Amino acid sequence: MILFGSFSFPFYPIFFSSSFFFLFCLSMRNLIVFGGSSHPELTAAICRRLGICPGKTKLSKFSNNETSVEMHESVRERDVYIVQSGCGHVNDNLIELLVMINACKIASAKRITVVVPYFPYSRQADVPFKPSGAPLTKLPPATPKYPPEPSHQQEDIAKQVLRRLAQTSLQDQKPEEPKNRYREWVARSGRLVADLLTCAGADHIITMDLHDAQFQGFFDCPVDNLISKPLMIKYIRLHIPNYQDAVIVSPDAGGAKRATSVADRLCMDFALIHKERRQIVTQKTDLMLVGDVRGKVCILIDDIADTSYTITKAAKMLRENGATKVIALVSHALLSANAIENIDQSALDELIVSNSIPLDPHINSPKIKVFDVAPIFTEAIRRTHFGESLSMLFDTKHDLL
Amino acid sequence: MADNSIKIFTGNSHPELAKLVANRIGIDLAKVVVAKYSNQETSVTIGESVRDEDVFIIQSGCGEINDNLMELLIMINACKTASARRITAVIPCFPYARQDKKDKSRAPITAKLTANMLTVAGADHVITMDLHASQIQGFFNIPVDNLYCEPPMIKYICTKIDNWKNAIIVSPDAGGAKRATSIADRLNLDFALIHKERKKANEVSRMVLVGDVRDKIAILVDDMADTCGTLGLAAKTLVENGAEKVYAIVAHGILSGKAIKVINESVIEKLVVTNTIPHEDKMAICPKLDIIDISPTLAEAIRRTHNGESVSYLFSHVPE
Repeated sequence: MILFGSFSFPFYPIFFSSSFFFLFCLSMRNLIVFGGSSHPELTAAICRRLGICPGKTKLSKFSNNETSVEMHESVRERDVYIVQSGCGHVNDNLIELLVMINACKIASAKRITVVVPYFPYSRQADVPFKPSGAPLTKLPPATPKYPPEPSHQQEDIAKQVLRRLAQTSLQDQKPEEPKNRYREWVARSGRLVADLLTCAGADHIITMDLHDAQFQGFFDCPVDNLISKPLMIKYIRLHIPNYQDAVIVSPDAGGAKRATSVADRLCMDFALIHKERRQIVTQKTDLMLVGDVRGKVCILIDDIADTSYTITKAAKMLRENGATKVIALVSHALLSANAIENIDQSALDELIVSNSIPLDPHINSPKIKVFDVAPIFTEAIRRTHFGESLSMLFDTKHDLL
Repeated sequence: MADNSIKIFTGNSHPELAKLVANRIGIDLAKVVVAKYSNQETSVTIGESVRDEDVFIIQSGCGEINDNLMELLIMINACKTASARRITAVIPCFPYARQDKKDKSRAPITAKLTANMLTVAGADHVITMDLHASQIQGFFNIPVDNLYCEPPMIKYICTKIDNWKNAIIVSPDAGGAKRATSIADRLNLDFALIHKERKKANEVSRMVLVGDVRDKIAILVDDMADTCGTLGLAAKTLVENGAEKVYAIVAHGILSGKAIKVINESVIEKLVVTNTIPHEDKMAICPKLDIIDISPTLAEAIRRTHNGESVSYLFSHVPE
């Protein structure tokens, strides 16, 4: 599927007359795809498939760290697509995206569509966990420390909070005030990011495998939430020998729906790993396997692999329960903090991820493989531009990609 | 008199200034933890109730500007969804203020975008200092208080510069003439102007002096000092034209890139900046740097906004 090359004609019935070809090229001239600095390879792949060159821009930072965006092609009355993923330096990439949208909007673009393979701030914040795995139920408030720590290490949020609490508890000598019944909560920024994109001027959003499908409701503009399931199914069919004997496993209860839809499509067995909280007092969590994996190859399916605790713990449990091989198929591989070491040392045999997020070129792990999602975005862009239906991208019966 | 209380939150951009402001008002900073997840997303945890309170969030546009801007937006949004009565964003140095017009094809007006983002996040009021162009206030639909650094600067000149009566106020470019003349009028001093011809961004070419600076102490006045190319060349021009000493007083000392090196090697006697942007690390390597504390002005503005009193006093006086 990756060898499909530049665009081809099978979707349009009539077309080798030169006049149509001329019109076709004219309306392709109205299409322009810009790439942000988060994932230039994906932008290049999309443009190669569309048969156009990426729009010329100069993206950099001023000496005082402000983002500088220069668009070097005219966008007046053109259909603009901006490809930017929410990875790496998330805030920098997000502001760069907003400034690019704004630049196109005030330069009279006809319509601006934002293509965000991995949508940032789309997850509800998790309650921080202690290193042992139990959640921190009480998060005592910490006063900010001066000067602030240099926060360039990619530390887990739980460790950061614990470190700051440890420092302030050494500082505070006065007795604790009576507990004031206030329950700390972590701000959820999903709605804010949706509002920011809309106020910058985006008319349409194309994204993939949103963590919560309800996120589409945060926007007032149309949102296309593409799915990578057809590509995952294709990968399983082509690259996993004897896949009919394998078991699809969901590493948590929330992903059960996603995993069962893949299992049903391929007529495979299904299992589920469940985080059960037995005792409310000690808050110990136990992982329980629902289903039988003895002597089978297990395929874990999840949407996001961030710190990779979920899939590595799941892999360990599957091995303990008799699985012969554990493969994980993940849509978005953030792989932050020490995820790569975790994966290398874990019971996982293979981790297959999509290229919605660029993989660090320094990663040489033999366990990590990539499947290409550029075809999905290319089709979505082309169909959106020509005003055609996107339904076939959601239908796994079509093997077009 | 308001019946709710002031809550001051700060992000990670300039916590020292926030502490000074809070001390000046006589309250503690409100508890908040602003950190980053391992995947670089910002996380904000508010540690006390803000229901029906008057919330002030102090965050300056400096350092890692995009991170600080996102922190500010998320904090505003968090307070909004927590039912704060009014949320004021106190932004001593407004980010992206220089990208305020479409001066070439397809240039974004990022200042307008920032204004929209602040409004959408839920801010009801903005307090800032010495905006690059005061017309930026018009980008907002919500009230904006653009405070001036001029009274603290005048106080500094009168108290810290010897023989200031023999000084002359110089504006390093034509755009800042209005600012410099108002200081010159207030102090009853002469005024001069340096006209520059600029070829590319952040690179200055020729400078022409309009006015007479012979045997006088020249005080350069500007709103921003970023790479300090302008200031260094201006100082050189002034000395070549006979000035005795050159001081530079700047509202926002961004001092990025090679700025400190330029200042250390230039003929400027002292570079005076306000503490809208943190400078501890730069003080260590630049002996010519001096800081004006503007936290009294900000604290007074916050107090008067909360109590519903007039802020006009701050446009011409420095609170003691």
